[in-house]
This record gives sequence, C-alpha cells and structure tokens, in this order.
Amino acid sequence: MSKTLVNAAEGTKVRVIDIIAGQGLKNRLMQMGLTPGEVLEVIENSKGPVIVSVKGVTIALGRGMASKILVDDAQGVQQS
Amino acid sequence: MDGHIGSRNSLKESEESKEYDLTVAIVGNPNVGKSTLFNVLTGKSVHVANWPGVTVESKEGVKEWKGIRIRFVDLPGIYGLSSLTLEEVISREYIVSGDSELVIGLVDATSPERSLYLPIQLLELTPNVIIVFTKVDEMNRLGIHIHFDKLEAMLGVPVIPTSALHKKGIRELLDTIINISNEKKRIKLVNIDYGGLESFISDISKIVAESKTLKNYPLRWASIRLLEGDKRLEDLLTSNNELDILNKVQSVRDAVRRSIGRDPAELIINARFRYVSNITKEVVVRVDKVSSYEHIVDKIFRKPYIGAGLSLVLMLVSLLLVFSVNTGFPLNLIMRYIGLQEVGELIEFYSLNSVISEAFNMLSNQIKSSIYWYNPLLASLISDGIVIGLGSVISFLPLIFMTFLILAALEDSGLAPRIAISFHNLLNKFGYSGNAVYPLILGMGCNVPAVMSSRTSVDDSERTQMIFSAPFIPCQARLIVASALIAAFFRNPLLQALALLTMYLSGIFMYLLTGKLVRRAVCRISDKPELILELPLIHFPKVKVLWWIAWDYTKHFLKKAGLIIFTLSVLVWVLVNLSPSGMTADVNEGFAATIGNAISYILIPFDIVGEDSWKIAFALIQGFIAKESVLQTLAVLGESANVDDAVRSLNLTIPQAYSLILLITLYIPCLATVAVVYQESRNLKLTVVQTIYMTLLAYLISILVYQLIKFLMWVI
Ligand SMILES: Nc1nc2c(ncn2[C@@H]2O[C@H](COP(=O)(O)OP(=O)(O)OP(=O)(O)O)[C@@H](O)[C@H]2O)c(=O)[nH]1
Repeated sequence: MSKTLVNAAEGTKVRVIDIIAGQGLKNRLMQMGLTPGEVLEVIENSKGPVIVSVKGVTIALGRGMASKILVDDAQGVQQS
Repeated sequence: MDGHIGSRNSLKESEESKEYDLTVAIVGNPNVGKSTLFNVLTGKSVHVANWPGVTVESKEGVKEWKGIRIRFVDLPGIYGLSSLTLEEVISREYIVSGDSELVIGLVDATSPERSLYLPIQLLELTPNVIIVFTKVDEMNRLGIHIHFDKLEAMLGVPVIPTSALHKKGIRELLDTIINISNEKKRIKLVNIDYGGLESFISDISKIVAESKTLKNYPLRWASIRLLEGDKRLEDLLTSNNELDILNKVQSVRDAVRRSIGRDPAELIINARFRYVSNITKEVVVRVDKVSSYEHIVDKIFRKPYIGAGLSLVLMLVSLLLVFSVNTGFPLNLIMRYIGLQEVGELIEFYSLNSVISEAFNMLSNQIKSSIYWYNPLLASLISDGIVIGLGSVISFLPLIFMTFLILAALEDSGLAPRIAISFHNLLNKFGYSGNAVYPLILGMGCNVPAVMSSRTSVDDSERTQMIFSAPFIPCQARLIVASALIAAFFRNPLLQALALLTMYLSGIFMYLLTGKLVRRAVCRISDKPELILELPLIHFPKVKVLWWIAWDYTKHFLKKAGLIIFTLSVLVWVLVNLSPSGMTADVNEGFAATIGNAISYILIPFDIVGEDSWKIAFALIQGFIAKESVLQTLAVLGESANVDDAVRSLNLTIPQAYSLILLITLYIPCLATVAVVYQESRNLKLTVVQTIYMTLLAYLISILVYQLIKFLMWVI
C-alpha cells in the first residue's frame, strides 16, 4: 500500500509514513509540518517538483526529495 | 524616534555605553513578514552587520517609545530551534545568552497551524516571550478567524495581532513591550506532554543535571534537545570533556529506539505539533472563501511549462525595461532601426547612466578649473581621481538598484519560488537546485545582485557554487561593450545576432558548468541539491515593500563595495598619472601605459600586434574596474570623442573582434563583483582563485576560438 510521494496522484490526499533522508533534511521537513502521520494534499504532480499543501501552507519538493517521502493513501481521512 | 544604533559589540553586553534601555529579539519562520515588521518598528535607524565570523546577516535598530529606548535585534529566519542549520544555532545561542530581555515570536496569521510551532518551542526555552501575529489583514481576507484573547489565556503570554503593511497593532506591541518589563507575566516554561517519552526525558535530566557545560540551559529543555539529538549540545559536551555524560545520553536514545522503534526526534516533533494543533483547534476557525483572482493566477503559474514560459517573458520584459531606463540601450537602437533617429538619441541622452556621468564630468571639470591655478596635481587628483571614482560608484547605482527592484518584486509577489520550481529539473542536471535561477536572471542585469541572491539557497555548497559562478553571466555592461564591437566589425545582421547569442550562451554555459565543477571538485559532493520551497500566495507586489527590500540591498552594496571601488579608482588614477620620473600629465608616460605595453604581448595569440595593441591591453586592464570603461578607455586613448570611431580605428578582423568579445564576457566582470564575492563568501582565497580562474579561462577559450575560426576560414 505504501509508496513514495512521487507516485501519489494529483488531487489526492496522502498520509506521511516516514521520511528516508539524512537527519538534516528530515528534521527540516518535519519542522515545516511534514511529520509522520500528517495528511498532505497533492496539488501538483506531473513533470516538475511535487507541490503539496500541509497545515495551510503550500510546499514544493523536488522529485528527488519527494521520492524519499513514504506515504499511503488517506482518502476520506480527516485532515488534522 | 531617532534612537542611536547599538554597536555590534553591544551584543556582548558592553555595560558602559548602553544606548538603549531594553533589548527585544525577533524570531520567525522565513517569509513570515519579519523584515516588514522590523522596518516598521525601527524606521530608519537600522544597523546591518554579520554575526561574528559567519556570513549570516544580523540587523538591529533602536526605537524610542514613551521615553524608553527599545533595541530590536532581528534573528535569522528559522523553522525550529534544533541546531541543524547555522541560523538555528545563532538564534538559539543568542536567546540563551540573555542579551535580550524579551523575545518576539512571530506567527503567520494565514498559517497559524504551522507557524505557531516556533513560538511554542521558544516557550520551552524562555518564558519572556510575546507572540505577535503578522499579516492579519491577509488573514481576514482569507476567511480565517483567530481568538487572540483565548490564545493569550491559554499560553499565559501576550498575544498581539499586527499588520505591518497597514501599521496596525504596532502601538499595542510597543506598549506591551514596555509594560511587560515592569511585571513579567509568565514565570514558568511551557511544559509539553511528550507521552511515552517522559520517562526517558527524566532519565536524561538526571544525567544532564551533573553537567557543568549545560548548566546555562534550562534542564528540561536541554534534556529534550539531547533526546532529539542536538549537534550543538553534543559538541559542547565533547569539547568540554564530558564524554561520559554524552555516552549515557546516547544509551538512553538507543533505548528509545529499541523500545518504541522510532527516531526520538520524530516523536518529539510530532508531540510538539500535536500540542500546537490542540491549541489551534480551539482558537482558529477557517471559513472557506470563494477563490479569488490570486488563486487563479496561482494555478496558472503552477503548471510546469506555462508557468515557466510566463515567468520568463515577465522577467525578460522587466530586464529590457531596466536596460532602457539605465542606458537607453537597446531601445535607442530599435528606434534608430525604425527610422526614429532623434527619439533614439533622446532616449540615450536622458538615460540615467548618461545623466549621472554627465553630471560628474561637469563637476569634475568645474573643480579642475577652479583649483588648477593653485596646484595642477591636486586638481587632477580631486577631479580625475576622487570625483570620477565617486562617480563610478554612483553610476553603478541605478542599474544595481533597478536589478534589486526586480529581485524584490519577484520575492514580494511570490513569483520567485515558482520560477525556481520551473527550472529545478534543468538546473539539477548541473548540480544546482531551482534556486540557481535567480543569479542567472539577475546576472543579466548586474552581477552584484546576482552574487547576493545566492543567499536564497539553503545548501551551503550550492551557495558557494552560485557565488563562484554567477560572475560569468553576461551583464548589461558587457552587453554594451560587445554591441559596440559587433556594430563596428560585423556587417551582416545575421552574424551580429549570432555573435550576441553565442556570447550569452557561453556565459550561461560557464555558469552552469562551473557550478557543477565546484560542487564536485571543491565541495566534493556527488548528490544533487534538494529543493524544498514554500509557496506563498501570489499577490501584486507592494511598492512600499519593494522600496524597502531594494534599498536595503543597495545600501548594503554601497557600504561594503563602495569603499573598495572608490579606493581602487583612485589607485588607477595614481597609476595613470605616476611615471618613473614623478607625476606626469601625459597618459602615454604613466605606469599604466608601461603596464599596458608590457602586457600587450598577451594579444599576440590573437594576431593583434603593432602600435595599437597596447591600447587594447590597457583597456582590458581598465575592464577589471568596470566593463564599461573598456570603451571609455579606448575612446580616450584613441583621442576620439566618439566611441564608435575609436573602436573602428582599431581595425580588427571579425575573428579578432569576436574572440575579444568572448574574452571580455568571460573574464572578471568588475571590481564591484569581486568585492561582493568576497563580502558574500568571506573567503579571500576563494575570491582570489575565482578571479584567476575566470581570467585564465576567458583567455584560453578566446584564444582557442580565435585560432579555430582562423583555421576554418583558411580551410574554406
Ligand atoms: N498582507 C500582508 N502581507 C505582509 C505583511 N507583512 C509582510 N507581508 C508580506 O509577506 C511577505 C514576506 O515578508 P518579509 O517581511 O520579506 O518576510 P521575512 O520574514 O523577512 O522573510 P525572509 O526575508 O524570507 O526571511 C512579503 O510578500 C510581504 O509583502 C502584512 O502585514 N500584511
């Protein structure tokens, strides 16, 4: 069921499971609100960076970065 | 109103000369509206410096309010108080140092769920906090309601809603600052419940309590930080011979991983955000508003190709506008081509650059004629050296300021990160992230803002890459020199266009390639920089904010680079006017001419020999000061009032002219750029290496190209 953010379809909601990155990047993302368990809305995901909305903020993540974020579908899950 | 400015040393509490009564630090996320608020609070009395030993900027200013002088210290934009970035370490150390009586924690009223996180972290470290919400005007528009009173009651610290843009809430904030120092409201730190981790935290507390090194930090805070894993605190323990404490802490962290199976940092950050969201659930209400025009614009710019294309057009048009205002170029040429000769000349004549240089020439002549009778040498020093030197600093300003205006508009409107996104994939191939698009665009205006825009990068290595490579981008000054050479020696319009295009491409190509080289060979990093960018809503830029940002940057440049440029201009005067036998009035006898002659052999590979070669060599040397002066020097040495005639009289062949264009494009753009490379990198070695690298490379490439074209022409 789990996949990376790169494979998340545009317009869907996904829940962060884990971030597979060095301590620096991981903490930065978490401090920006992308914590495991958090629900993201995938706004744009075609060619360029993946754009998500989290905690009322829009964030763009390069595809390399996005491929390090494990997510699963969160359709129907209430955004906290 | 006009308070004095605390000197940088006052950071280290110099008691004897206190020019303020109270110090307040300001902390917030990037883009929260910190600079705007800081500007409104402190007005003009701002002092900009760097934090000791690093390139991170520090700003402070004093505001007098009801007889009390409040000193505001602007801390770097950060997301949290871990110690993963230099900015976080600086902010944290400053707060712990106790230099400030109060800390203002900023919350973006348009995204409280995210931005309240930082102030909550502050409250774990110090109780002396005022929480200030920014952009409340925007909040209302977006249909967000916040119960500020309720939040105040929940947290036990003052909460002030403000809008720096509309100057709302500023008085209330200043009043609160003065009153809170009379009766401190909160005495205890915020205690977040970390659930399953609490027993581990108390284990670590017992260990940390024995540390001498960490006794300046609140015990619970330091324990939580160490459980999260804190590079800075760990280094402190190591360097103060408290390794046993560090080892004990490590074993507790390992125990967490074993028993819970997750990284303690993740659990702690999660718990903190849960604490925040429990609060915001109570105090924030979002009413969905119908999408405004911003949302539609937003959507368009988000589309990969359309967004990139639109931004590119937007920027090229603004650059052309800047060019035209500054020197009339290329609008004057266009007018000439369509037959409006006189309009073209008018545009050129009334362009900023020409007005300023005309003014300084007049001033210089005035001074010269009025004190010439007294002492000719002194007259020449003042008029040709000092006034012209000043003039060259000031004539830089319009272009630099206007290029900064573009940067400011990009930043303020929210377009900048979108452009960065559109170019990320391409730039990533060259070891850059999308952020590297700023130097690329701004550099075509002026390399000084281009180098300074490296600050947008969060990746240290990428910053170095940008600083090192940005000067390759052909700026307007090079465009002018190249156009003069092209106009003089290229007859065929197709060849003219081709020459100009390849000049730009070669500069951009070197920027990209050098970036990759620096990343691989100097920084020794093989993976590509990541892109993490926040996208604020797109909005129409506000003139006031644009002015602040652009003027801020320009002032910075003037202070740091102005003196260097000025000094070197005077030095050049000395070289021109000093000959082995004392001062001389004849340009041909000065040391400069001697140097020009001595190095004219460097032009032999271009088959440029004979009596005119020293002029070109000397002009190239002048080009180190500023690229425009290449033409100026040729005009002076050619004893011709008209630059075009002077250039034409050099009688270059097309291959010679073209390789000269490449040489001029690729070698170090000007002293201002060298100065700013040093200012941004704080690294003398890097600055010197960069200058040599560019010059050598430019020389080799242009020789190669010349010989190649010569060979091809011979074959054909
Ligand atoms: N509507 C509104 N916008 C504001 C207000 N204050 C700042 N902004 C906007 O918020 C954006 C960021 O403002 P800055 O002051 O540059 O923010 P900063 O926190 O210094 O950001 P960095 O320079 O990235 O650290 C700009 O586009 C401002 O125009 C405000 O009171 N109201």
